[in-house]
Amino acid sequence: MDFPDELRYSEEHEWVAVDGARARIGITDFAQDSLGDVVYVELPGVGANVMAHATCAEVESTKSVSEIFSPVTGTVVEVNEALNDAPEQVNADPYGAGWIFVVEMADPAEVDALLDAGGYRALVEEA
Amino acid sequence: MVDDIDGELDAAAQMAADETLLDDVAGGGPPVLRLYRWSRPALSLGRFQPVDDVDAPACRRRGVEVVRRPTGGMGLLHGGDVTYAVAMPRPAGADGSVDAVYRLLAGGLIAGLARLGVAAAVARHGGPAGPVCFAGQQGADLRVGDRKLCGSAQVWRAGALLQHGSVLVERLAFDETELLRARPGSPPVSRERLRAATVTLQELGAPTDPRHVAHALVEGFAEALDLDLSRRVGSTARRG
Repeated sequence: MDFPDELRYSEEHEWVAVDGARARIGITDFAQDSLGDVVYVELPGVGANVMAHATCAEVESTKSVSEIFSPVTGTVVEVNEALNDAPEQVNADPYGAGWIFVVEMADPAEVDALLDAGGYRALVEEA
Repeated sequence: MVDDIDGELDAAAQMAADETLLDDVAGGGPPVLRLYRWSRPALSLGRFQPVDDVDAPACRRRGVEVVRRPTGGMGLLHGGDVTYAVAMPRPAGADGSVDAVYRLLAGGLIAGLARLGVAAAVARHGGPAGPVCFAGQQGADLRVGDRKLCGSAQVWRAGALLQHGSVLVERLAFDETELLRARPGSPPVSRERLRAATVTLQELGAPTDPRHVAHALVEGFAEALDLDLSRRVGSTARRG
């Protein structure tokens, strides 16, 4: 299972790629594997205010409907509308084409509280 | 026999009752099991299933209520089934995965069905399917031979989960193939194909009295699960 070193991770199984004050967010390889075939992603609205560790979107697989949490606080500035037609990208390329939304962070220091790849790998292996 | 089944609510009220179970557990309440029937035939749609799948005039002609479930999955017709709902906290560690919870609850369902003389097994995962739940099989479902007997779906919220599902007891005079439209570019599911893909307790020669079925499922969950589901919600124990 792949957990890129350059990303940070939440305990709720989202990844974060930081670019300045912007955080690109998706669900991890572990999460997509656990969910199974993703058939729909309910994207957050652009302009929505999101709170760290609060739910802001949902993902449906052939097995379940689950919440997606924002790992950081801020404003949604971009969403991956390509997932409306191709939700399976979440499975096929969770860290690339399967990204879900981008947050303009209110406090970029929040990222420091997230797990690094080693910490997240340990969390997942514990599970 | 203990009355374990709740059959007096319409479709919207049944779904609201299940959502309440989930909210209660998410708020720290104990796990709970509910068994129910439907006061009249109803078509339930998955949480995000396109409404375009529904043939609304056909539903009106048949007097079928249409309701959206909080859980995922595709459309299915209720009326000839017994429905179960389990709300429980997310188990810790590896037991807290989607697959692990399906396996856990499948154990209860399989044990319950065994009490009715039915040897059910977990279905094979067929991947995304069309708009008719019972025309396809996922790893969440139960089969007898290759025919689907029980379809289940989940929603996870705030550290809790709701799984509910439908055990086919007998067939109605019509089915989902009359009520759900084929999607563009996909062939419609024929009535014959749906019948061949499914099986009912009646066809298996098992008991069909809903109270009997519900009681067997309650006992099956009690036998197979290390979960205290004693706070059942049925017609004799429904909360106001």
